[in-house]
Amino acid sequence: MQYMAGVSGERAGAMKAAVDVRGLSHVYDGRDGAVPALQDIDLTVPAGRFVVIVGPSGCGKTSLLMMLAGLRLPTSGTILCDGRPIAKPDPARVGVVFQEASLYPWLTAVENVEFPLVLKRAPRAERRARAEAMLRLVGLDGFGARHPHELSGGMKQRVSIARGLVQDPPVLLMDEPFAALDEQTRMTMGHELLRIWSQTAKTVVFITHSLTEAVYLADEVLVMSARPGRILDRITIDLPRPRTYQMMATEEFGRLRERIWEQIRTTP
Amino acid sequence: MSWPAPRTVRRLIGVLILVLWEAIPRLGILPELFIPPLTKTLNVLWLDRAIYAAALLVTLYEVAVAMLIACGAGILIGSVVGGVAGLRRLMLPVFSSLYAVPIVILYPVFTAWFGIGSESKIVFAGVYGFFPVMLSTAAGIRTIDEQYLLAARSMGASLPQLIARVVIPASIPTVLTGLRLGGALTIIGVVVSEMLTSANGIGYLVTKNRTTLDSPRVFAAIIVILALSVVYDIAVRFIERRTLVWQTAGRGASAGPTRALPAQASA
Repeated sequence: MQYMAGVSGERAGAMKAAVDVRGLSHVYDGRDGAVPALQDIDLTVPAGRFVVIVGPSGCGKTSLLMMLAGLRLPTSGTILCDGRPIAKPDPARVGVVFQEASLYPWLTAVENVEFPLVLKRAPRAERRARAEAMLRLVGLDGFGARHPHELSGGMKQRVSIARGLVQDPPVLLMDEPFAALDEQTRMTMGHELLRIWSQTAKTVVFITHSLTEAVYLADEVLVMSARPGRILDRITIDLPRPRTYQMMATEEFGRLRERIWEQIRTTP
Repeated sequence: MSWPAPRTVRRLIGVLILVLWEAIPRLGILPELFIPPLTKTLNVLWLDRAIYAAALLVTLYEVAVAMLIACGAGILIGSVVGGVAGLRRLMLPVFSSLYAVPIVILYPVFTAWFGIGSESKIVFAGVYGFFPVMLSTAAGIRTIDEQYLLAARSMGASLPQLIARVVIPASIPTVLTGLRLGGALTIIGVVVSEMLTSANGIGYLVTKNRTTLDSPRVFAAIIVILALSVVYDIAVRFIERRTLVWQTAGRGASAGPTRALPAQASA
């Protein structure tokens, strides 16, 4: 197993970091002048870890993720991904799964998954085989020929995950991937994500609004403050793996959830 | 008693109109000058088939060239105006206002510039059809879901790839709507300009035979024009169905196919 639940912050920093953010700040030009969006973010995610970021709406979580993906440049600070700076999107190093299904409706599921490989001009047979393998991994074997409108919300997000993983990047960024799903589907998808994660040994940075989801999925939960976004607290989730639904009913689970909520609630 | 299907009713109404077309002038309810009987009209159309076919060819040629101009220029200028924010702010209000101008007032100018032959019809109809194509192309490009672009960039798409693989397929539905409207306006433009000042084409046959009060020949030309627009509509629908499988299917039956899936995979 690749996860390192319970690794303390200091030790984690000494290990090989998949994502390393130093002194990141971001200011954007709003209507009433400069708006500080992110402030002094330091973030080290060791390889293979599942890190969840929570925080109030508009705290800059998504901005941070966009910067990790190379989709936006920070005003100051450095971002290293897999040991090298990230200045533009690099899907071989960082895969991204977006909030709502950002699948292309004119492509079938398998064509959507192989899209990054098409951009790279990979040979047809190779990319098709790779995409089919990814669909199998996310539990959609046999659904490759369907268009997104023929898939349920959860299935669409499975396709998105497959697309994010198709180039086998060491890091997978997920921006509230299950936010649009109903509660039951969301639970199933969280569980499925952990299965996929344990099979692929990825480093995951996951953004969510759901505290239950955060505790259930994470090795470590980062709590962000309202704008300008700072990291207020890092909470190690030392629940054993593999996680089960029953854990949600335990005292430990409730205590962790409560601690995160307390942090968010008491911060102005 | 249950009602017959709408399709059956539509067909019955069609047949009824044809029957009335024949019966009303024959029974003397309206003079033949107003409505010549259907059979008489068809007979004239058959007798003069060489004349009508030649005129139709001229009209078709004008329509084809005008459509090329309207669609080509409309898509080209529309994508530039829609894609470049600065140009969009500068130009779009102007183009949107021009859309409301009855461009037919320019037709006398065009005949002065290009003569009364095919050229003036082509230019007039081309301009007429240009606006909806251009406006819908601009709208299609402007309204592309940001997520599509963001996702493509995260997957490493270059600008040419972004345009070819995301912007173009994503804007096709809106552009096609514009093409359908623009194409129809092109046909109208050609026929109207032929009716106004011309020496050839189907529209000219309408005007010419009207001046000699030859009603059957006027109506024969009208039948040809109707057939032309119906064929155009069928062709466009066919193209839309073929290119937009994902879109048309998504509208009516988005929930339909997923219901039949096995439960464990439907999460």
